[in-house]
Amino acid sequence: MNGWIGTTLRVDLTRGTIKREPTNMKVAHDYIGARGMGVKIISDEVDPSVDALGPDNKLVFAPGPFTGTFAPSAGRYNVITKSPLNGTIAGSNSGGVFGPELKFAGYDALIIEGQAKKPVYLWIKNDVVEIRDASAIWGMTVADTTEALREQTDPDAKVACIGPAGENLSLIASIMNEMHRAAGRTGVGAVMGSKKLKAIAVIGTGEITVADPDAFKAAVMDARGKIQANPVGGAGLKAYGTDVLVNILNQSGALPVNNWQDAYSPAADKIGGESLAANQLVRPKGCFACIISCGRATKVTNPLYAGVGEGPEYESAWAFGVDSGIDNLDAVIKANYLCNEYGIDTISMGSTIACAMELYELGLLTKKDTDGLDLSFGNAAVMVEMVRKTGVGEGFGKRLQEGSYRLADSVGRPDLSMTVKKQEMPAYDPRGVQGIGLNYATNNRGGCHVRGYTIAVEVLGQGAPTDPHATEGKAALDIVFQDLTSALDSSGSCLFATFGIGGAELAGMLTALTGVEYSLDEFMKIGARIWNLERLWNLKVGYTTADDTLPARLLTEPIKTGPSKGRVNHLDQMLPEYYALRGWDANGVPTPAKLADLAL
Amino acid sequence: MLIKYFATFRDLTKENSLVLTDAPTNIAELLELLSVRYGAAFRAAVFENGELSSVMILLVNGRNVRITGGLATPVSPDDEVSVFPMVAGG
Repeated sequence: MNGWIGTTLRVDLTRGTIKREPTNMKVAHDYIGARGMGVKIISDEVDPSVDALGPDNKLVFAPGPFTGTFAPSAGRYNVITKSPLNGTIAGSNSGGVFGPELKFAGYDALIIEGQAKKPVYLWIKNDVVEIRDASAIWGMTVADTTEALREQTDPDAKVACIGPAGENLSLIASIMNEMHRAAGRTGVGAVMGSKKLKAIAVIGTGEITVADPDAFKAAVMDARGKIQANPVGGAGLKAYGTDVLVNILNQSGALPVNNWQDAYSPAADKIGGESLAANQLVRPKGCFACIISCGRATKVTNPLYAGVGEGPEYESAWAFGVDSGIDNLDAVIKANYLCNEYGIDTISMGSTIACAMELYELGLLTKKDTDGLDLSFGNAAVMVEMVRKTGVGEGFGKRLQEGSYRLADSVGRPDLSMTVKKQEMPAYDPRGVQGIGLNYATNNRGGCHVRGYTIAVEVLGQGAPTDPHATEGKAALDIVFQDLTSALDSSGSCLFATFGIGGAELAGMLTALTGVEYSLDEFMKIGARIWNLERLWNLKVGYTTADDTLPARLLTEPIKTGPSKGRVNHLDQMLPEYYALRGWDANGVPTPAKLADLAL
Repeated sequence: MLIKYFATFRDLTKENSLVLTDAPTNIAELLELLSVRYGAAFRAAVFENGELSSVMILLVNGRNVRITGGLATPVSPDDEVSVFPMVAGG
């Protein structure tokens, strides 16, 4: 057994049972691990019709074969479950060191089943696994929980936990590890909260064996060299973090502003990576085995928003910044800190506040709804207060914690929720970048950029640059990015490794690590298999081609100012070709021939 | 013509923006003018063996010059040019 450990841990919180069982190696070979393995487990074991917050839903934590090795940026693990936000087969991945530690403890996957009667946490020290009482830490913030569990277990324990938002079953709650790293999207924190599972603390001292150490070392060194030679992976992300994108997207006319009413802001520079580096950055920070270090350890001294922590990423800076009409980076960072403390997805939180601001300015929400607060665009102090209210489930925060779709729908304007399949879209306006719009519309977990990051070629001009305003060729482009990311997510590598290496290098490292032959074609086919399996789940849940769309604003309401002025997204020109190239029928259903080709 | 600098180009040029009164007709002429103004380090950052540097993002009115003709991309006095190092995020 190389790369994989060969053991899966299954914990039933209803019965209080703990089982160690052999990892299904056929599944491991065919789905690699992490996201792919988790999707296969959920598909096989969970009925798509279950209540996502009920005992029959399951929650899978899974590192990949690379996780814990010295492959570049191999610190990722995935959380896979049925999303309470939108019912999709959801997943979110995170870096840090929790994933590697779970692997060192001896597990390819941890499957959480059932529902505890009272708050519990899981303590894993190699093959010693205990379900422990968490009553004393229930209600604590992420940082306090982490510190308390380190005191109760081991000072070096790696902790993944939920904050009060997950306990309150907020549909935009995240799972946090090492205090600041987030499996943020699709409401995975609420599923953990529904199971009364406050945290998982883990210590592992095992090793990961390698099939061909010499070949693996050579492949890893080649990959590391290519990443370090790449201007993005080598120096760019370390110097400015992902927040450097604010100005690029703004100058490209694709930075959503004021709940996507526009796509350019004269104030964007105030919240960009350059400003962050000059004012609040303490030092760059990397995850396990990372040679990129895109993380930001930051400090805010402004007494109104003072604090120490990590972030913001580009998406968070945008959501709490210009999308909420705010150009105060101190406030943006404070909002990010609060999300980390309460365990909330920053993208959905900021976007939900932005949506609420538009509803407020339209008179559809009033001070009676907002606890007497002025929720106009640009009100930084109220924006930060709304994050706190959401985190603790107080007043108007109880409505915000359900995300923007349910909020906008409750006042009769679901069209003002900037979501796809009820999940808030990230910070790239499809009116200015056509291909990313198709990616949002077809993404299996709803509005998502990382599972199909066409921005790399459409805006940044990497690889084979394409015109962001063109629709031709975007269906094929999206499919390549979606499939590559599906396989990459399953390997345990970070998406940012692809700023330097591609599928060929990943397949080569995987072959040397596991001893299983993975060609580039096979690697990409596995990606397509995972994508189609996720699609099949969504169809069973009830999603149809009508849901493969964008908010009407992006299809009919032209951008008002900036370089993309006058543009809308032309999804209708891309979607039929996407279905055809996917091997799906006109209803977006995979054909029998496609399923057979993918062994599904 | 308004030139906006970002990230490392602010360090290289010691300014955030520049209003250019010269009238270059294309990107090659513009970068040559700017290289004379800012010196060897800037030149090394924008040219690579006489071609457009592969580690730079250059936008003219929001359009990446890699899809509009590279160094031959025409420019006019009313244009806004944005200069970035090659960076990315997610």
